[in-house]
Amino acid sequence: MIGQDYIGDRVREDIYPQGDEANRKIRRRRRAGKAWRWLFIVATVSAIVILSVLLIKILNDTVGLVAQESVLPERELLLAFDESQVLAAPNILLESEDDPAIASAIADEPNSLGFIPWSAYLTQQDRLNLVSIEGQLPGAEAAGTGDYPLDRPLYIYASTSELQKKPHVAAFLAYYLQHLDEVVPDAGYFMVDAEQLAEQSAQIAEGLGLEELPAINPADFEGVINITGSSTVFPITQAMADRFIADGFRGTINVDPTGTTAGFQKFCIDNDRSIDIVNASREVLPTEFSACQANNRRLSEAVVAQDALSVVVNKVNTFVTDVSREQLEALFTTAEQWSEVDGNWPGETISRFIPSADSGTMDFFVEELFQRESLEDLEYDDLVSIYTANISKGRCRAVEREQRFYDDVLICEDPEKFAEVCASDSPPTGCTLPPREEPGLIQLIEADVIKPKVLASWNGIESVLRRDEILAEAAQKYPNAEVFFKSWLSWQFITSPQSSYPEIAGIRTAILGTLWVVGIAILISFPLGVAAAVYLEEYADKRSRFNQIIQTNINNLAGVPSIIYGLLGLAVFVRALEPITSGYIFGAVESGATANGRTILSAGLTLGLLGLPVIIISAQEAIRAVPPSLRQASFGLGATKWETVRHHVLPNAIAGILTGVILSTSRIIGETAPLVVVGASTFITTDPTGPFSKFTTLPSQIYQWTARPQDTFRDIAAATIVVLITMLLLLNATAIYFRNRWSKRLG
Amino acid sequence: MSSEVLAEQGLATPVDQGTDIAESLKKRTRIGEKLIEISLFTAGVVSILTTIGIVYVLFRDALDFFLLPEVTLTEFLTSTTWLPQTGNFGIWPLLTSTLIISAIAMLFGVPMGFFTAVYLSEYASPRFRAFLKPVLEILAGIPTVVLGYFALTFVTPLLRGVLGPETVQIYNMASAGLVVGILTVPLIASLSEDALHAVPDSLRQASYGLGATRMETSLKVVAPAALSGISAAIVVAASRAIGETMIVALAAGAGPKFTLNPFNAAESMTGYMVRISGGDLSYGSIDYQSIFAVGMVVFLLTLLLNIVSQRIVRRFREVYE
Repeated sequence: MIGQDYIGDRVREDIYPQGDEANRKIRRRRRAGKAWRWLFIVATVSAIVILSVLLIKILNDTVGLVAQESVLPERELLLAFDESQVLAAPNILLESEDDPAIASAIADEPNSLGFIPWSAYLTQQDRLNLVSIEGQLPGAEAAGTGDYPLDRPLYIYASTSELQKKPHVAAFLAYYLQHLDEVVPDAGYFMVDAEQLAEQSAQIAEGLGLEELPAINPADFEGVINITGSSTVFPITQAMADRFIADGFRGTINVDPTGTTAGFQKFCIDNDRSIDIVNASREVLPTEFSACQANNRRLSEAVVAQDALSVVVNKVNTFVTDVSREQLEALFTTAEQWSEVDGNWPGETISRFIPSADSGTMDFFVEELFQRESLEDLEYDDLVSIYTANISKGRCRAVEREQRFYDDVLICEDPEKFAEVCASDSPPTGCTLPPREEPGLIQLIEADVIKPKVLASWNGIESVLRRDEILAEAAQKYPNAEVFFKSWLSWQFITSPQSSYPEIAGIRTAILGTLWVVGIAILISFPLGVAAAVYLEEYADKRSRFNQIIQTNINNLAGVPSIIYGLLGLAVFVRALEPITSGYIFGAVESGATANGRTILSAGLTLGLLGLPVIIISAQEAIRAVPPSLRQASFGLGATKWETVRHHVLPNAIAGILTGVILSTSRIIGETAPLVVVGASTFITTDPTGPFSKFTTLPSQIYQWTARPQDTFRDIAAATIVVLITMLLLLNATAIYFRNRWSKRLG
Repeated sequence: MSSEVLAEQGLATPVDQGTDIAESLKKRTRIGEKLIEISLFTAGVVSILTTIGIVYVLFRDALDFFLLPEVTLTEFLTSTTWLPQTGNFGIWPLLTSTLIISAIAMLFGVPMGFFTAVYLSEYASPRFRAFLKPVLEILAGIPTVVLGYFALTFVTPLLRGVLGPETVQIYNMASAGLVVGILTVPLIASLSEDALHAVPDSLRQASYGLGATRMETSLKVVAPAALSGISAAIVVAASRAIGETMIVALAAGAGPKFTLNPFNAAESMTGYMVRISGGDLSYGSIDYQSIFAVGMVVFLLTLLLNIVSQRIVRRFREVYE
C-alpha cells in the first residue's frame, strides 16, 4: 500500500531524499494523527465507562447496611403474641416469678402442669414428674448435647483486653472456668461438656495473651471485682466468689443480680468501666455487642453452665410422659382437659402454673415453643388479632371502612353502624372492595404497629469495605437500632403495594399499572401503525402531494418531545373525552363519585399515539424490504392487492414489524413525562382493576421517589430502576432473538 | 390476427359476441378491496389527526393564555421574570435555562459522539464495532428518568466534590446539561456513523494514495463529505436536548430563575410543565393555560430544528454516483 515507506518516524532516505524540513513535517503529521487517534479512543471508551458507572451506581444503591429502629420490633411483637397465647390459656392458677413457689404449687395439685428451671425442680424432685419433649428428657445426660429443646446455656462475659491491666479480675476469670465442676451442680445446674470447656479456656487464654490458663492461687491477688447481670446465673457466680475469697483472695467481690439486659446496658452501652464481668442467661444481642465494640470493649463469651427448663406435672400424673411440640402447644394454650390433647388421657381439667409475663424464662419458653420467625408464619386470624390489639379503636374503624378484614363479620364496629355508612351518599371503599389478604395485612401491621424507620443506610460498596467502621458508628449514633445488610430489591418489594413508608413500600401497584398502560398502548398503536404503513407503502401513490405530506408528517411526529404528547393527552383524552376515559358512559363510575379522566385508558391512548410514528416507520422499512418479485409473482397469479399484502408481503415483513413494535414498546415503557402530565397518581395503594382505574407506573414511581430528599427513598428508587432495566433488557433480548430467528427464515 | 378470430376468442373490442367474456375481464371494482383500502387510508390519516390535534390543542390554550388580562405577548417575550403570583409571565428564565442546558449538552455530546463515530467508522476493528454498537444501543435505551436519577445522585455530588459545594448548588444546570449530553451521545454517534459509512471508500483510498494519515483522511476528507449527515445529527440531538424533560426535572431545579451561571438552579421549560401538571391542577386556571403556552414554545423550537435538519440533509447531501 502506498505510504508504507513512511511507516516509522524515519523516512527512508534512499528512496525519498527530501531533507530535514520535509521529514520534520511528516513526523509532525504522524504525531498529530496519533494524538487524534487517542482522542477518538478516549471518547469511545468513555461511552463504555459511563454506562458501566451508571449500572454499578444503581446496583450499589440497591443494597447495603441499614440502621433500622422500630417502634415495636417484629420479634417483640411476635413474642408478645406468643405470650398472650400462653397467658390466655384456661385455668391458670398461679403466675409468679418465684420458681420454687411454682414448683411446690405444682407438687400440691394433682392435675397441675407448668415449666420451671432445673434448680427449682430439684427442690420438689420427689413430688414432681418430668415430661419429655419428643423423647428428650431434661437432665444431666441431655445437658450439653442440644437434643432437649428447652436447654439453655448460661453465660458470663468479660472484656479480655482490659483484663491485662486488671490481673485480679483475670485471675478470678481463670479460676471461675477451672472450678465450675465444684460449683455448678450444687447450684442446681448442669455442667457444660469438657471439650467445649477446654476450647473456651483456650480462647480466653488467648484473649488474655497467655498460652493456657494457669493455675491460680487466689492469695496472690487483691482488688475489687464488680459483677452484675442475670439473677439465674447469680447463684453460680456468688458461690464461685465465695470460694475465691475462701481460698485466700485479699479483695472484695460484689455480685449484683440486676438482670441480663440491665447488665449489658451498663457494661456495653453506658460503658461503665467499674463493671468487670456480666452474668447472662442469654446470648449478647447484636446491638449490645456493637456498642461494646464502639467503646473498645471486646467481649469474650464463656458458657459456664446449662439449665434445662423442665415441663413438670404432679407425681400422681403418670399418663403425661412424653409430648410432641404440637401437644405441648395445645397443653399450654387451648386445651381445657387432658383428653383434648390425647384421647387416652383422662377428661380432667388442667390446672396451670406459669411464670409471669415479665419473666425472661417465659420469653425463652414461648420463643422455643412456637418458633416463629416472622409475621408470615402466622395465620390470617392471628394477624388480625395482633393488629387490632395494637391500634386505637378509631384507627381500627377507619381501616376497616377502607377495606374490611372479613367478608361476613366486622371487627371494629357495629354492623348496623357500618350498614348505615354504606347506605349514605358517598360510601367508603370498604363497602364494595373485597376483604384484605395476608400480604396487605402484614404491610398494614408494619405500617401502623411495627413502624420500622431506617435511620441511616449505606451503599453496597462501603458496606463491604468499611463494615467495621459503619457498625461502630451506628452503635454510637443509633444505639437502639438494629444494623443489618439489606437488599432493597426483594420479592417482598416486588409484591407489596405502595406505602408512604419507604421501608415497607413495594412496586406491585406500579408494575401492574405499567403492564396495563403499555398493553393498551400497543393494542392501539400496533394495528393502526401497521395499517398506516401498509397504506403508505402498498397503496399510496408516492408522487401524490397528499401522501408526501403524510410521510413528512410522520417523520416530524417522531421527533416531537414526549411531553407534548402528554399535553395532547391531557387536553383531549383526560379533559375533552372525560366521559369515555373515566368510564362514565360505561357505567364504571359509582354514582356520586366524580368522574375523573386521569385513568389508565387516557394514559394508554396517549402512549399509543407516542409510539405510533416509530411503529409506522419501522413497519414501512420492513415492508419496503420485501422484494418486489414476490409481489409481482403474486399479481401474476391473479391475486388482488389485499390478498398479496395479506398472504405474501406481511408474513415476510413480520420480523421487521415485530422489531419495530418491540422498539416502540421499549421506548414507552420508560416514559415518564407524558404520564405525569396526564395524571399518574402520586399515591395509590389499590391495584388497578381495569382501564378506568387510577394508575401509577414504574417510571413514575422512580421519578417521585428520586425527587424526595431522604436517602431511603433513593434506595427504593434504585431498586425500582433495577426492575425497570431488567424488563427492558428482557424485551430487547426477545427482539434480538426473534429478529435472528425470522431473518433466518427469509434466508 | 384478424379481428374476426379475436372477436371469437373474446379478446377484441367487445362487439355483439363475447360481450360477457369481455365484461368478465374488465377491471372489476371489488368492494372488499375498496373497503380495505379506505380503512388503511384512515389509519394513515390518524397521524395527520395527531399533528392537527397537537397544534390545535397547543394553540387554543396558549391563545386563551395570551388573551388573559394579566398576560401580554410582549411581556411574555421580553420579561425575565416568571412569577405567576405577582402576574409576571416572562418566558426568558425558562427559555434561558433550557438553552443553557442544551448548550452544555451539545458541548459535551457533540465532540464525544462525533469522535466515537469517527473511531467506529474509520479506526475500529469489526470485533470492537460489534462490541460497541450494542453498548451504544443500551445507552440509548436507558429511560431518561434513570439518567435523571444518575444526574442527581452521582454527577451533582461529583461536581460539588470537584468544584466545591459553594460554587455548585444541589440543583444545578451543569449536571443536568452533562447528563443530557450523555443522552445525545448515542444519537449523534449512530447518525454520524451512518453518514460517515455512506461515504464511498474510493474517497478514502484516494486520500491515502496522496499520502494522508488516517486522521487527515477522516477529518479532512471523509467527515466533510458526510457533513450533511453529521450536521443533521447535531441538529436532531439539539432538538432532543431541548425537549428533554425528566433529567432536567430531577436535577436542574424547581423554580424559574433567570441566571447565566450554570452551577445555579434554574427550571427549564419542560421542567416547569412537569412540575405544574404534577400538582393540583384545575382546568382553565391560569397555571393550566400557562403550561400550554410554554409547551407551544417548546414545540415550535423542536419543530423548527427538525425541519432544519431535514433541509440540511436534502440540500447539502452529496450524492455519489
